[in-house]
Amino acid sequence: MRVPSRLRASLPMEAERDAVAPRTANRIGSGLQRLGILLLAGLLFAIFSATSSDFSSQANIDNILIQISVLAVVSIGETVVMLLRGIDLSVGSVVLLSSVVMSALSVNHHVPLVLAIGAALILSLLIGCINGVLTAFIGIEPIIVTLATLMVVQGLDEVILSQNGSWIQVLDPFFTSLYVNQVLFLPVMAVITFVLYAVAAILMQNTPFGRNVYAVGGNARAARLAGINVMTVKMAAYAIAGLCAGIAGLLETAQVGTISQNIASGLEFSAVTAVLVGGLSLTGGAGSVLNTLIGATIFGMINNYLTLKDFSIYYKQAVSGFLILIAVILINVGRFGHMREER
Amino acid sequence: MAGQGAVDRGPAAVGAARRRSLPAFLDARLDVLLLIVMTLIVIIVIGRLNPAWFAIGTLQTAASQNAPLAIVAVAMTFSIISGNIDLSPGSMIALTGVIVGLVFEGTGNLGVGICAGFAFSIAVGLVHAQLVARLGINAIIVTLAAYVWARGLAIGLTGANAIDINTPFVTLMNTFSLAGISLPVAMAIVAYLLGWFLLNRTTMGRYTFAMGGDLRAAERAGINIPRQTMLIFGFMGAMIAVGTVITISQVAGAQPLEQQGFELDAIIAVIVGGSTLTGGQGSVLQTLAGVIFITALNSGLGNLGLPDANYSFIKGAIILLALALQAGARRLAARRLRARHATQGGARDVRAVGVP
Repeated sequence: MRVPSRLRASLPMEAERDAVAPRTANRIGSGLQRLGILLLAGLLFAIFSATSSDFSSQANIDNILIQISVLAVVSIGETVVMLLRGIDLSVGSVVLLSSVVMSALSVNHHVPLVLAIGAALILSLLIGCINGVLTAFIGIEPIIVTLATLMVVQGLDEVILSQNGSWIQVLDPFFTSLYVNQVLFLPVMAVITFVLYAVAAILMQNTPFGRNVYAVGGNARAARLAGINVMTVKMAAYAIAGLCAGIAGLLETAQVGTISQNIASGLEFSAVTAVLVGGLSLTGGAGSVLNTLIGATIFGMINNYLTLKDFSIYYKQAVSGFLILIAVILINVGRFGHMREER
Repeated sequence: MAGQGAVDRGPAAVGAARRRSLPAFLDARLDVLLLIVMTLIVIIVIGRLNPAWFAIGTLQTAASQNAPLAIVAVAMTFSIISGNIDLSPGSMIALTGVIVGLVFEGTGNLGVGICAGFAFSIAVGLVHAQLVARLGINAIIVTLAAYVWARGLAIGLTGANAIDINTPFVTLMNTFSLAGISLPVAMAIVAYLLGWFLLNRTTMGRYTFAMGGDLRAAERAGINIPRQTMLIFGFMGAMIAVGTVITISQVAGAQPLEQQGFELDAIIAVIVGGSTLTGGQGSVLQTLAGVIFITALNSGLGNLGLPDANYSFIKGAIILLALALQAGARRLAARRLRARHATQGGARDVRAVGVP
């Protein structure tokens, strides 16, 4: 009784949208949008540099690049999932899981580093696959599935941590070098981030998988009728999100050095915010990983500036929340004008 | 007849009313029936593990403690049926509490403080509605931002310290009970009656379903979308304020770190109650079933004396299992509906039934 009513309600709308919003319009819109987001990032950079003498120093820019690397890498997977009109709220706990598993194995159980890293990544991928199975094949709402996996993985993190003395210090030279060293005048972590974004951009723009993600996100029913295996695409997207969170966990380990329970708390919301500030459309099919990188940079610049300005730590969260809201309003007002013409 | 209104009033649910045979009714309610069975299993299993939990006193405490969740879940039902969502309640309860506390400190009068809290919370809801309905920004984004800034403001305004509120009113809230029903529980009951009435007997409810079913169609049918959105988010603001009053009383003060993760419990309660995030379906009574499930889990697992780690692990796992079983039940129901359609020669529309 309930499903046909939903079907009848949604079908004409989807058909209509496909009719009025052909691909080219989307493409022009997204080009304009990237320009808008870049302008916003440039504007913020100009304002911050003008009001804080330290902000645009080489050392601080390196600092920002290192600070955003974890968020940026997590946001790659979040973008892919959100392009499919899904969401992954478990990524923060998976980041912690990856660093906890890696450090517990290598520091406390003396497993070779390569194996420990491999185990952490495989486990993260596995969590992503569980999310994928539950959303794509069993058909539960993504926000709810990933909330529940958030709880489960958080519990797992705490169990492992409590069995290893509640915090683990990682002194391995490999991780120290990730944090300290530079390649071509850029911090290693920033290079890793950029390489991952390059890979993701190629994956999304030049491969069948990427095209399928956009097709399914735009209209899942049409994509299925066109012969795309919708479930596999969704499954792969959540697996990618898990893997990205796993990689981010290793970067986080390099960054903080000491693994404890709160190092990645709230990261899932930051990732969703970075994707949204990057202008991804929640109604599907529009957005890109490069926009997300800009979104994550905006997020990182705001936080860095508030720290530089010695903002009361108590108000920092409030101000960054308001600034994010303003950024999202600016970006959406631009898109709203574009949408209005379509009506 | 839980949620009958939901089906009747859902847009284009034509024909639903005609099939009223018992098997059809059971099929349509399979997920909710399953939820009730699972709730009973949870209660029985935890009761076996911890016989001391199985007492009327526990029930009263659990009901009082989870009254804010139950009350906010009513408003969340409206929000989700209309195709929106609200991620802000946990942070907003903390911030509203801080505002009540600050005004109370300034004026010495808790009544004024509570009025200020209501005004603030409803005003935030109305601003959210403007952003959602007039600027067309998705409710997830708007309320996600509030999730961040409201918590931050609560921490900022108090310097992360609690504000003590200890007045006769707080004592009354904590101790008064009539026939075993405490004031918070009474408020929750009133909230459900009000929610049921608004959803099933007023144009606000009808328009809420219409918006969730097809926003564009609702707009073309002449529904004032901005006004309805303001009603829905304003209602949420009011329910958040009621939840705040209860929360403040229970801890005798305003704590800026209060109720973290609260919004997630509220959303999960609504969803296991059978509403879908695509909007257009749901019912207040089904949400109540979801709230009872979450309350049983919170109270039962909380009283088992588990370490925090195992608590969230087990709670998450049980919720996942419940969701998976419900999804299975919905598919089964859909398949049987399809079979029934086929035998009646009316196989239209049913191909996509059960496809996520």
